[in-house]
Amino acid sequence: MEADELLVLVAGGDQKAFEDLYGLVSGPVFGLVRRVVRDPAQSEEVAQEVLLELWRTAGRYDPGRGTALSWVLTLAHRRAVDRVRSARAAGERELRMARRANGPAFDHVAEEVEAGLEREWVRRCLDRLTALQRQSVTLAYYDGYTYREVAERLSLPLGTVKTRMRDGLTRLRDCLGGVA
Amino acid sequence: MTSIFRRGSALHSLAAPYALDALELREHKRFEKHLKHCDSCAAEVRALREDAVRLAWSTAAPAPAALRDRVLLAVRTTPQEPAAAQPAPAPSSQAARARAERPPSRARRSAFSPFLIPLASTTAAAALVVAALFGMQASRTQDQLNEERAQARDIAHVLAAPDARAGTGRDANGQGIGVVASASRHTAVVTSAGLGTPSNERVHQLWLMRPEEKPRSLGLLDGDTPLLATGLETDATSLAVTVEPSGGSPQPTTAPVVQLALESLGFGE
Repeated sequence: MEADELLVLVAGGDQKAFEDLYGLVSGPVFGLVRRVVRDPAQSEEVAQEVLLELWRTAGRYDPGRGTALSWVLTLAHRRAVDRVRSARAAGERELRMARRANGPAFDHVAEEVEAGLEREWVRRCLDRLTALQRQSVTLAYYDGYTYREVAERLSLPLGTVKTRMRDGLTRLRDCLGGVA
Repeated sequence: MTSIFRRGSALHSLAAPYALDALELREHKRFEKHLKHCDSCAAEVRALREDAVRLAWSTAAPAPAALRDRVLLAVRTTPQEPAAAQPAPAPSSQAARARAERPPSRARRSAFSPFLIPLASTTAAAALVVAALFGMQASRTQDQLNEERAQARDIAHVLAAPDARAGTGRDANGQGIGVVASASRHTAVVTSAGLGTPSNERVHQLWLMRPEEKPRSLGLLDGDTPLLATGLETDATSLAVTVEPSGGSPQPTTAPVVQLALESLGFGE
């Protein structure tokens, strides 16, 4: 069964359907959270929150508004970004150290993971963006920076960053268009 | 859609950063407020969101096995929110059938979009505990509340232990108990998984079994309320549930309906 159908069953309290849904989405959720949060223990915690939130709020999923996987990953990304921002607020320095400590291990694990076509396609399409588009989009999405922080890091005016983000996303859409 | 953006209100230009979750909290809220009154912006944001989600495609990685155990166990005792809105036409007949079979929900048309989910302020472990201990019971004295809060803290402690492991014990009908235990903290959280309540005012009593020792009572299982079992010796071999007369017994008087070996949870080493 597809994630969309499973979510509907889950909303009705079907625990077996939730197990199946878990099988479909736990990898994408965990991978995305870990990409943003980096720290393995914290990633696991956030992923757990997200997966349990799926159970609690499955009734809010509206198939008319998009695919189930997109709904799930939007939620996961939001929670991951929340976590990484509060961690940053708590201590820029500790975070940098944690990243340094966990960085190589993370990359290593990521390499081992079955790549799949999508991974390759996303990379290829990201390569087609201009450097500023790519950096604006990835600093925000993969690293959890706000567009103001992105502007600061890239020494660009705020308006430029907003435009680069929009253009970057639209270009990704064109490039990935037929792959979905 | 495009013409609105060309006119260029400052708010509209936030659609892309919003889709990337790149707004500060204050702006994020302001933009969502705006979205409620702007259908074309909602469509634009939805499209940009879908684009952003594609960036997640390249990040999937297998989740740790322990995460699965913890989430599936927590789901048993976590209540769900009622549906917020009537879903749009289903993508398939199967989903439609499933929806038709759902009991009538307290569905109401609401302004909620998938992007408006409140920020999680609790961890999953706390959610489990809060749900089980506070969610389902209406009135409580202050003393009871304090006691339950203390228990909630203790339970959260077990779930957060580095060596916390989950297991289930089932009877022939697939019903039984779910357990999260920490050997280093000598503690376990035990929940009923469909055991129900025995008839004739009898009760389910939980026992700790150790080599060369009599079973020791860990308390009575009361519906879905998690039972916090403390002081578990590390040489403990299993947990057992028996049916006992109201109030429980000093020693088991019947054969266990469910038994769970503790070895896989880090005990008996």
